[in-house]
Amino acid sequence: MALKLFLQDILDVMTPEMFLQHLTNGISLGSLYALVAIGYTMVYGILRLINFAHGDIFMMATYFTFYSIVMFSIPWYVTFILVIIMTGALGMVVEASAYRPLRDAPRISILISAIGASFLLENLAIVIFGGRPKAFPAPELFTKVFMVGSVSVQRLTIIIPVVAVVLLFALLYLINNTKSGMAMRAVSKDHETARLMGVDIDRTISLTFGIGSMLAAVGGMMWGLKFPQIAPLMGVIPGLKCFIAAVVGGIGNIKGAVIGGFILGIGEIMLVALLPSLTGYRDAFAFILLIMILLFKPTGIMGEKITEKV
Amino acid sequence: MKKRNIILTLVAVLLALLFLWFAKENFDAYKVRILNLCAIYTILGLSMNLINGFTGQFALGHAGFMAIGAYTTALLTMPVAVKQQNFFLAPIVEPLKDLTVPFFPALLLGGIFAAVVGFLIGAPALRLKGDYLAIATLGFSEIIRIVITNAQRVTNGALGLKGIPNTTNLWWSYGTAVVTAVFIILLINSSYGRAFKAIREDEIAAESMGISLFKHKVMAFTIGAFFAGVGGGLLGNLLGTIDPLMFRFFLTFNILLIIVLGGMGSITGTIISAFIVTIGLEWLRFLDQSINLGFVVIPGISGLRMVVFSVLLMIVVLFFRHGIMGTNEFSWDKLINRLNKRPLVKGGTK
Amino acid sequence: MKQLRIDNITKQFGGLTAVKDFSLELNNGEIIALIGPNGAGKTTAFNMVTGVYRPTKGKIYFKDTDITGLRPDQITRLGIARTFQNIRLFKDLSVLDNVLIANHLHIKSNFIEATFRLPRYWKEDRQMREKSLSLIEKVGLIDLRNEKASSLPYGMQRRLEIARALATNPEVLLLDEPAAGMNPKETENLTEFIKQIRDEYNLSIFMIEHHMEVVMGISERIYVLDYGVIIAEGSPYEIQNNPRVIEAYLGVSEDA
Repeated sequence: MALKLFLQDILDVMTPEMFLQHLTNGISLGSLYALVAIGYTMVYGILRLINFAHGDIFMMATYFTFYSIVMFSIPWYVTFILVIIMTGALGMVVEASAYRPLRDAPRISILISAIGASFLLENLAIVIFGGRPKAFPAPELFTKVFMVGSVSVQRLTIIIPVVAVVLLFALLYLINNTKSGMAMRAVSKDHETARLMGVDIDRTISLTFGIGSMLAAVGGMMWGLKFPQIAPLMGVIPGLKCFIAAVVGGIGNIKGAVIGGFILGIGEIMLVALLPSLTGYRDAFAFILLIMILLFKPTGIMGEKITEKV
Repeated sequence: MKKRNIILTLVAVLLALLFLWFAKENFDAYKVRILNLCAIYTILGLSMNLINGFTGQFALGHAGFMAIGAYTTALLTMPVAVKQQNFFLAPIVEPLKDLTVPFFPALLLGGIFAAVVGFLIGAPALRLKGDYLAIATLGFSEIIRIVITNAQRVTNGALGLKGIPNTTNLWWSYGTAVVTAVFIILLINSSYGRAFKAIREDEIAAESMGISLFKHKVMAFTIGAFFAGVGGGLLGNLLGTIDPLMFRFFLTFNILLIIVLGGMGSITGTIISAFIVTIGLEWLRFLDQSINLGFVVIPGISGLRMVVFSVLLMIVVLFFRHGIMGTNEFSWDKLINRLNKRPLVKGGTK
Repeated sequence: MKQLRIDNITKQFGGLTAVKDFSLELNNGEIIALIGPNGAGKTTAFNMVTGVYRPTKGKIYFKDTDITGLRPDQITRLGIARTFQNIRLFKDLSVLDNVLIANHLHIKSNFIEATFRLPRYWKEDRQMREKSLSLIEKVGLIDLRNEKASSLPYGMQRRLEIARALATNPEVLLLDEPAAGMNPKETENLTEFIKQIRDEYNLSIFMIEHHMEVVMGISERIYVLDYGVIIAEGSPYEIQNNPRVIEAYLGVSEDA
């Protein structure tokens, strides 16, 4: 009975148009999460390690974009390419300085180093870029609004999922059909064996960080276009959420990360839309989802089970 | 234990007491506050080390437990009138409104409440390992913070609490720190402590020796949460003001830095490092503020202090993985041997 | 009543069947051995008995109690202890601590009593220390009791692992390659030692071993596992003359 009333309430506030509006918002947010989640899942797949700094690399990309467009007046299409390259390089630098020296160290040390790298990037951003939020320069091309029936849609809302899907297929092609991709898959299965087979482990890991960071750069720029305010700590919560998306989808699995991203993005938007009283708990949704998944299906939706050898 | 060591320990304790007494009488409020913070961070470091260093469970939920302790103690010790002033957006819930208890039971309740939540979180989360556990506890800690931010009528939400009685003084903070240290030293040297260390060393072997992983992990986690809650309670009643933003992941990071620098699995290392980190963080404040040299003003760069600290943490992990003490403890024999530059007698003391 | 009865257990990892329809019985006071080429599934069988893996199919009984699917600590508590093929000592802890830890499962004091050293804990602690020291003495490590476990030579680490297993007060002891890495002299001592502890502690012993001197010297019965399946069972004499066993070990192929 109570449930019926509850559903009635939802139907009262939710017209089909509104539902579509929320769904498109959810898909576009989910695509952003997916882009960043792929980076987590790739690094985890290869190193069995949460790259705590990934959210901060994402943040750095938005600042790179800001300075390139606002300070140096570089046109946005050149900026986008520059930023992707710079962010990829940043990811490789982080790997070389915070992770590579600890390759044979206990996992706990690597984890602490990762947290240290994350804090360093955040605080460097505060020192270099200033703690106050800045307005992200969004070209009108992306932000224009058009109407589909009675649903108003920003161009971006369509562009983001399209970009995400294109990049996903490009990445899958790279991993399944190129030599570097084969090396990545080999390293993710077994470092020692891969080394014996002549794979350059350090180069492959570095490449993985580079590609993951480049995807985070795209995610960061899209994020900036969608939520045009950037700040040094902006990467923390999206970073955690995208890691959660990766876990929900099955960590180490790229398609899983995308699925997880969509579940999280759509779930979050719908939660707030359907139950406005829970708006304050929006950020808790991801964590609750994480805990549920870890308790009931720790391998995630697409993940494989790993048995510890005794 | 040799007679000499007992005497040395007593002398050290006496000197420490004298120093505290001297500090209480003669130091300015700012220095006393730092000294208090040193003791509180010692408590927090010890409790986190019990979970992370001695039991080997990489949990990152400390800020959440501290928040619970801080809010509980604050709400139970604030005078009724002050509570009314604080809760101007929405009135405070009924039983808390007129409830005021003395500091000690309030602190204890803060710890117990944190321990209960710790148990409820630990029971499911400790089935996870490594970075999954880290992220799950971090998530729980965030959820606690989000709940506190939203429970307007209990916690005053994002506005925080102001005018908490400044009950925490040097005696309270150092007294609690000593009690915590003694409790944890006794615990880790008991059979239960050995079981914790066994789990840290090798979970599969520990389980095969009949040690219930679940029971002992949850036990260490709950005890750790208790002391984190007590530390949080002391902190709130030292600062006089608390709000949900204080208890972000950053706070857990500070404590993590303390135990990494001191040595995961060393009590004395944690104590030494709690002082170094607390005083260091204060001392480095000059980096954030502008310095006036009379003829020229060097502008401070806000955030530089934390850059230095992040770099410090990374240097410690990258180059001095075992921190100051590793898993060793301070002893008079080692100190005297070192002073005399004699090689250490193998097999320890006799 | 059998001390241990394994009834048709099977373990699959994904598509791979590591052990198939494995059955075995261990009588009171008996020493039996499980042999077979590397990768035959011997340790997997051990891991199922001790609860590290859950069998895909089949049952395991300890003195008529069904222990299938129990946790390792519950199984140890009932009276089955083990050692590990790749030695799993608590490396950073002392020899004495390693053995003391194995006493913890019998403790009755709670953590408050233990922390504040209340009388009951005081008594229990003294008892477990005495027992541990006598076990350490038995395995000849008494002078090294305060050394770190990882600092011991290989052979001593194996003996320490046995002492640790004995400290749990087992009725059944599972030894996973106790003689691995030992020289002939050490192996000979070990053989004597296993017999001795069996008699002294009234144990039933089930071991995996490659050293044939040990296996043939002390086992009353031998099971041979190949590709996850038992291919032979019998006395040392029967096994030595079993053509299937010889084939499995020497890899004699069908065209021979």
